[in-house]
Amino acid sequence: MSDRPGYRTVERPALTLADRLVFPAILKGMAITASHIFEKKVTMQYPEEKWTLPEYYRGVPSLVMDDENREKCVACSLCEFVCPPRAITIVPEERPGGGREEKQPAVFDIDMLRCIFCGYCEEVCPEEAIFMSKEYEVVGRSREEMVFHKDRLYEIGGVRKDPHRKWKNADDEARAQGRGHGHGPAQV
Amino acid sequence: MPRLSIDGVEIEVEKGTTVLEAARALRKDVPHYCWHPGLSVAGNCRICLVEVEGMRGVQISCNLPAADGMKVRTSSDAAVKARADVMELLLINHPLDCPICDQAGECKLQEYSFELGSGRSRFDVPKNHKRKAVEFSDRVVFDAERCIVCTRCVRFTKEITGTDELTVVQRGDRSEIDTAPGKSLTGNYQMNVVDICPVGALTSADFRFRSRVWFMEQTRTVCSSCSRGCNVLAGTRWNRVLRLVPAENAEVNRWWMCDRGRLDIREPAAEDRLAGARLMRGGVQVGVEPGEAVAALAAALAEARAAGGAGLFGLVSARLTTEEAWLARLLLRDHAGSPNLDLLPRTGEADGFLETADRNPNTEGVRAAGIAPAVGGFGLDGFRAAAEAGRVKWAVLVGEDLSGRPEDLAALAKVPFTAFIGSHDRGAAATATVVLPGATWAEKDGVLVNGDGRAQRIRPLVRCPGDARPESRILLDLLAAAGAAGAPDPSSSPAFLVKAMAAAVPALAGLTLGGLGERGAPLRGRTGVARVGTGVEV
Repeated sequence: MSDRPGYRTVERPALTLADRLVFPAILKGMAITASHIFEKKVTMQYPEEKWTLPEYYRGVPSLVMDDENREKCVACSLCEFVCPPRAITIVPEERPGGGREEKQPAVFDIDMLRCIFCGYCEEVCPEEAIFMSKEYEVVGRSREEMVFHKDRLYEIGGVRKDPHRKWKNADDEARAQGRGHGHGPAQV
Repeated sequence: MPRLSIDGVEIEVEKGTTVLEAARALRKDVPHYCWHPGLSVAGNCRICLVEVEGMRGVQISCNLPAADGMKVRTSSDAAVKARADVMELLLINHPLDCPICDQAGECKLQEYSFELGSGRSRFDVPKNHKRKAVEFSDRVVFDAERCIVCTRCVRFTKEITGTDELTVVQRGDRSEIDTAPGKSLTGNYQMNVVDICPVGALTSADFRFRSRVWFMEQTRTVCSSCSRGCNVLAGTRWNRVLRLVPAENAEVNRWWMCDRGRLDIREPAAEDRLAGARLMRGGVQVGVEPGEAVAALAAALAEARAAGGAGLFGLVSARLTTEEAWLARLLLRDHAGSPNLDLLPRTGEADGFLETADRNPNTEGVRAAGIAPAVGGFGLDGFRAAAEAGRVKWAVLVGEDLSGRPEDLAALAKVPFTAFIGSHDRGAAATATVVLPGATWAEKDGVLVNGDGRAQRIRPLVRCPGDARPESRILLDLLAAAGAAGAPDPSSSPAFLVKAMAAAVPALAGLTLGGLGERGAPLRGRTGVARVGTGVEV
């Protein structure tokens, strides 16, 4: 008996003869196992078989091109800002070509060891350039390999056909008004 | 003296004060784009509307002189509604390209839109498009679509620099800022238009697209490109100084700074930064632990001290902090006995506005700390002759590498023992017997005294590379290794160093690091106020 108040010692239950013989318990277990052989199979043969993922599934974040194979990302860095584990690194640069989306990412890295697949980056993106893909098999042999660079992120994301073309529309509109880029005469 | 009430708070102001200024005196920030404390009143942006009892409609507070008995309401329903309408009009043709705009995060359009805007535009006609990425010069890039034609930049070139390069062309919603055909922005102050632009229309070519502003750490410090000591706000990220913008200080630089100082941010991250200590062994410099180099230099100083110190020359940079100069004096003069201490003058042409002729940031402080040739000693001028005559046995260069001075370097080659404590692998660093890696102005905490006798605090912005450390730390270690009497403890904090220095140097009496605050304070007996004109008179 414990002399500490509020505690009491529980007696071990005494083993019956059947318990002490062991075999009845083994047979009982085997019977349960055998009964499952005739039930419907639930095991999926991964990786030969794979899940059909729901629409809302959040896999590896990826970058997408528009239907003219142009980078949608303009390196606004909001995803880098919002990312809770700080997995994203962006170094912006000037985009050549004189379009209205003057900026693009020179470096866009996502550290998949840090990424928590929360989807904030997709949610915050004002350009609809970053999407949570259905990709979930993230493996690598080193930490460096687990940092996905821009080219790999585009490989995962691919092309996204959607009508969101605000920069191009503005460019077209400006061209229609005869307004170009760079030093020209002010409007007359 | 008119006495008026703003939102029910009474305030008495000087005659001629505007309602906006009176409100600011009460710390009520009435929105404004075109109004700037350093420029004339334009009254064109209309966002500073307030309601005044007895006056019809709403009034622009920036151009409304405060009158006796006036009752102003800055946030009445009518005023806020009127401002929201102005906001909506300003955004009709605005491209809303915040994701690529450098101003995002410190943009008044964003701020007031967040405060007053509706979140959606009622205008569905095509926007009026204008020129983008116009190079006003190689330093300033203009985007006409983002511009709200507040004319701050126009007034800056007219009233402050007097260069008058910018003007408004066209009318109505086609108004744009432009230079005369074929002309560009010129001069050493043109980048100030980028700072005063309340929106993203004027951007700095140097900083363009380098970082979103909210990622940068903003530190108030002092520019070290001349003896003016302009107060600046340094933006740092990735252990790099990405930009300097002026910080307001009415006694020094007001709201402005020069482009030369602003663009002088490459040195801390230069390719040739020294990151390790080196010792000359058998005619070749080899990398060593800093402690070993300190011991070698302390041993040489012991020899110099035993020889009376007359053969020791010390060159102490006027780019160092005052404490560092004082520690150098403790080591080289008070301990080793050298009468031959000097600084390296750097001169340019004073432009009559901010940039001064003395391009060293701390000549006053270093001189006050006692860096000057003593009676019977020689300075930098006498060094060459003395070295060639073989009278200099030891030379210690603190913060100066004599790069760009071939004659002095040739003379230095004749000195048997040279030590270099500094930040870059240039000039003397290549041939010195002892090399100790030091810091640039961006890596240290300390006091600079500007040309008007104003002590101001610089703050560390980035970390030193490798084994490099601020010169103050190296000098403290040297003093300890040399066993100098009365030297501060090597673990002294920056604040304690200043206190110890102020107690030892009469010219700096009373100086404390904490007492300098954000804006610095004049040394005893000095005004600490800039004596030059602050722009052309209109």
